[in-house]
Amino acid sequence: MLNLETSIQGNKSYNNLTISEVEPVIKINLRSKKREFSAKIGKILSIIPPVESNMSSINDNYSLLWLSPDEWLLYSNNKISNYEEQINLEDKLFNQISKLNQGAVTNVTDHLVMINLNGNKIYDLLSKGCPFNFNDFMSKKGSVAQTIVNHTDVILHNINEGNLNLFVRRSFSKHLWSWINDSARFI
Amino acid sequence: MSKELRVNSKYIDQTTRIPFKFNGKTFYGFKGDTLASALLSNNVHLVGRSFKYHRPRGIMTCGSEEPNAIVQVSNDPSLTEPNVRATEIELYEGLEANSQNCWPSVNFDIGGINNFLSPFLPAGFYYKTFMWPASFWEKYEFFIRHSAGLGKAPTKPDPNIYDHQYAHCDVLVIGGGISGVIAAKLSAEKKLNTILLDDKKDLGGVSIYNNDDNFKINDQNVSKWLSNEIENLKKYPNLSIKTRTSLAAFHGYNYLLARENLTDHLNVNDRKDKIRQRLWKIRAKKVVIATGAIERPLIFNNNDRPGILLSSSIKKYIDYYGVKCGTKISIFTSNDSAYETVLSLYKNGVKINSIIDIRDKSESLIVKKVQDIGIKIYWKHTVVNTKGYKRINSVELMKLNEKGTGVIGDKINESCDCLGISGGWTPMVHLFTQSGGKLEFNRIDNMFIPDENKSPSEQISVGSCNGDLELDDIIKKTNLKTKEFLDINTSIFDSLKIQNSKEKNKKNIWLLPSDKALGKTKPFLDFQNDSTAKDVKLALREGFKSIEHVKRYTTTGMGTDQGKLSNMHALGIIADTTGTNMGELGTTTFRPPFTPLTFGAIVGRNVGQFFDHTRYSAMHNWHETNGAKFENVGQWKRPWYYPKNKESMHEAVQRESKAARDSAGILDASTLGKIDIQGTDASEFLNRVYTNAWSKLQIGKCRYGLMLNEDGMVYDDGVTTRLGENHYIMTTTTGGAANVLNKLEDYLQTEWPELDVYLTTVTDHFSTISICGPNSKKIVNKMIPDLDLSDQNFPHMSFKNSSINGVRCRVMRISFTGEHSYEINIQSNYAKNVWEMSMEAGKEYNITPYGTETMHLLRAEKGFIITGQDTDGTLTPVDLQMDWIVSKKKYDFIGKRSLYRSDTIREDRKQLVGLITEDPNEVLEEGAQIVEDLNKKPIEMLGHVTSSYFSPNLNKSIALAVVVSGKNLRGKKLFVPMENKNINVTITDTVFYDKENKRLNA
Repeated sequence: MLNLETSIQGNKSYNNLTISEVEPVIKINLRSKKREFSAKIGKILSIIPPVESNMSSINDNYSLLWLSPDEWLLYSNNKISNYEEQINLEDKLFNQISKLNQGAVTNVTDHLVMINLNGNKIYDLLSKGCPFNFNDFMSKKGSVAQTIVNHTDVILHNINEGNLNLFVRRSFSKHLWSWINDSARFI
Repeated sequence: MSKELRVNSKYIDQTTRIPFKFNGKTFYGFKGDTLASALLSNNVHLVGRSFKYHRPRGIMTCGSEEPNAIVQVSNDPSLTEPNVRATEIELYEGLEANSQNCWPSVNFDIGGINNFLSPFLPAGFYYKTFMWPASFWEKYEFFIRHSAGLGKAPTKPDPNIYDHQYAHCDVLVIGGGISGVIAAKLSAEKKLNTILLDDKKDLGGVSIYNNDDNFKINDQNVSKWLSNEIENLKKYPNLSIKTRTSLAAFHGYNYLLARENLTDHLNVNDRKDKIRQRLWKIRAKKVVIATGAIERPLIFNNNDRPGILLSSSIKKYIDYYGVKCGTKISIFTSNDSAYETVLSLYKNGVKINSIIDIRDKSESLIVKKVQDIGIKIYWKHTVVNTKGYKRINSVELMKLNEKGTGVIGDKINESCDCLGISGGWTPMVHLFTQSGGKLEFNRIDNMFIPDENKSPSEQISVGSCNGDLELDDIIKKTNLKTKEFLDINTSIFDSLKIQNSKEKNKKNIWLLPSDKALGKTKPFLDFQNDSTAKDVKLALREGFKSIEHVKRYTTTGMGTDQGKLSNMHALGIIADTTGTNMGELGTTTFRPPFTPLTFGAIVGRNVGQFFDHTRYSAMHNWHETNGAKFENVGQWKRPWYYPKNKESMHEAVQRESKAARDSAGILDASTLGKIDIQGTDASEFLNRVYTNAWSKLQIGKCRYGLMLNEDGMVYDDGVTTRLGENHYIMTTTTGGAANVLNKLEDYLQTEWPELDVYLTTVTDHFSTISICGPNSKKIVNKMIPDLDLSDQNFPHMSFKNSSINGVRCRVMRISFTGEHSYEINIQSNYAKNVWEMSMEAGKEYNITPYGTETMHLLRAEKGFIITGQDTDGTLTPVDLQMDWIVSKKKYDFIGKRSLYRSDTIREDRKQLVGLITEDPNEVLEEGAQIVEDLNKKPIEMLGHVTSSYFSPNLNKSIALAVVVSGKNLRGKKLFVPMENKNINVTITDTVFYDKENKRLNA
């Protein structure tokens, strides 16, 4: 097996704030306008794609984030233990969605890096470089935002107040990680 | 600190003495003092020199409108900060400040000679004088530049830390005076998420130190009542109070910027590793502007001497800071508010010589109280002159005539060491107008106030910034307006009992008369820029009518105070002189920032490593460890070349490109954009996007495509591979990836919603390792032995799914170098390992990592274009001599219609050609112009060089260029004129190397 090397490989703690890369985590982009799509996903994953904008569905294994009326991001709640786990899920979804012309399944596992931010100051931290209004978002469990942090595109998934997962493209992740750590000093 | 000049104050900490230095001399002040109040307590009034005439100038105000006390902070020339207002610096241990615009010292300034030359230096002097002789301009300029500018800029980068923060709120209240406090409390009480800002260290504005018995709220002194209210505000969790925070800009739709000072008041040693200033970017649903008003000066002869202060500032210095501005004070006023100052001074035992009031009389309660004390009031008088070079020592006054246009009677001389002046009040409407609001002119109080009918929505102005100057008006109207604004039925302020003196007699004279002709006097309007009332009149005589023109000609209002004190008088004088209504005259434009911002606050943390994004490929660490030099491509750091043994870039590139042609080269091509395309209409989608046909591309095959803009010009290019029946992967240029995806998604959503196509970017998911050269097949075979690499099974422009050590990969046989070449696409988390495996497998073939420079050279040898280098948005595929890629059969594709416009089918457009130099060692400069006739005037430019290299494989210089009618000029000899020589070149085919593509298929 090839050596796996994730982008950041780090976790940091500051006053009441922890920041950690959580990888490898399966991430699959799902797109469809088909009526049957939702039921199919429900059958495969036991989770229904949310129809409410900027919200998510979560079960024991997966989270499914609304990204647009025909786009969702699926990610595994836990780190995967082996490569096959990722491939099996991708294949299962691809064969039943893409191959049957029910939409598009694209593996984006290494496209995005997941960073977990935990602590009651995380919204203040993000607000240093993010114009998004967190006032309602923070107390809404499972809410999703696609915004920018320090000029970088990110997806934010609010697990619950004070605990969120941030997804950033791999190539931007080191730079954003540096910025987050720099800003965390002043929280 | 002089004990005689200090009185008790509960607002500052008079138990903590703080040493500081001003102009090299050590003084002491108290914690809570500003630099200005501390200097005044040390009897220092002279703090600077004016800009033009170098006249001695003293502290004049107590706030951001200060025009004179502008100082240079810190003696370290590398870190010094210019143009800081002494009235706004809170005193701290370690403070060192110096006067500006004087040499050798503020007490003796050589530039003071300008004051004697002032009759020869009227407005427009520079414009008129330095016009002739024209050849002397550079000599004039040398001296003018030396005397221009205020203060010294620091010579080193600012070591302080600055920060940005976004905030969203229901209600933002700007200004923590009495009206701001009332509005904030009403908002907080209604459970709205509220932010209250004030630029001072404490809330309360001028009312917090108003202990005058003539002003009561619910039978309490205003100060006491307000203190309780402020204390009460702290209990609201939904109210955030930010002091030392100055609103800088009010943009449209309630987007505002505010600067918070976090460490400027701390001792120097306590500031380390802390953020100095934070710029708040606030989005508010509703905004309450409560920015108050500032007092106007009076315009009379020699009104600029040290010791002349605004009357309200004298009150603040005595009531708030516990500092007497003088021991023999005279007051010169046009309104009642100066009488509050008189009462404060009297209560603190300061001798008041007299009051000079331009009005005939005043029947208000407060004036009566002053009269009862027995202070002499000169009604209907004006100051006609002041004396004292570095500190006022006397005033001369005379009686005004009936109309107030001249003086009559005898001159009265009064000695004094301080003169308080009050010319009425100017509401601070700057933020209102910044947000798009329009003003109306209030003829009674002679001030511009917000026009409620022309106000942007979701904002109100309350208090004195709205033109309400009396305490009862301020409270009642603020309460009413805020209730209506926030939809509140009843408020705790509805039943307040308010008692205050009401002003009954009003009079205003913009330019006070003197016994001398105007030309013999110096009535200053703009104290910083030394513009006077006679400058304004001169500008009018010379034909300037608009206030914007007068402002620029005379420089009135162009100092760092932005005309806060001077603009109204300038307008008034123009209106009086021209017989215009002030309301019709309008105002100058109030632009942000309201008070100067530091560059640090504007930039925040976007400095150094955070100046711009940096994108890294998964193999970046390897490149770094192996000595790569990097090139910025978009935001990516791409290996540029890998120098060995101190090679120059040229040497490294020559070695790398030889190795790639002779044996094997390896390139990190991960940065190219990759878009996963799925859907039953994917082929049709590509037909519409690219100029060539895609329907017949077989599964497992790759095809190069050109993408055009709607104008028919080349926009992007790349290879797209058919992975399945309805599944493609498109590659784009590195820099164009994001734009291409956005454009295609836009087309799908708006132009072609009927297509069943989905796009997903996978640029970062896959890393791409490109291995090229005659031995590339052997290397890939070692890495993936199960993959049949024979030309029959795996020909050029095809792809295979495969795996390396159990990890899936996509291998494309495509080439940007003209060599036999493979691109391995693998998940990025495994890419570094695969790169290392490639290096290991290629060791025996001297596999050589190469960077973007070698890549550019190799593709130029083959005549392959780089979009953005050889194209510039003005070239069609036909211009690039790539007619073969434009389908004639397809119904449509983006840009098709434009390709057949009369302009795009012209034969004499610039077209891509090859160039070789007569001297094979002469490498052309990219961007160099190409001409045919060197003697023709003006010289006719036929085109320019787009790419140029020395090819080690051809052992000569090669270049690509765009030239007018270039495709018909093959063999033509032209010139590339350079600074010291003309280079002879010949137009050739664009392909220099392996025209038959033998190496691709080798």
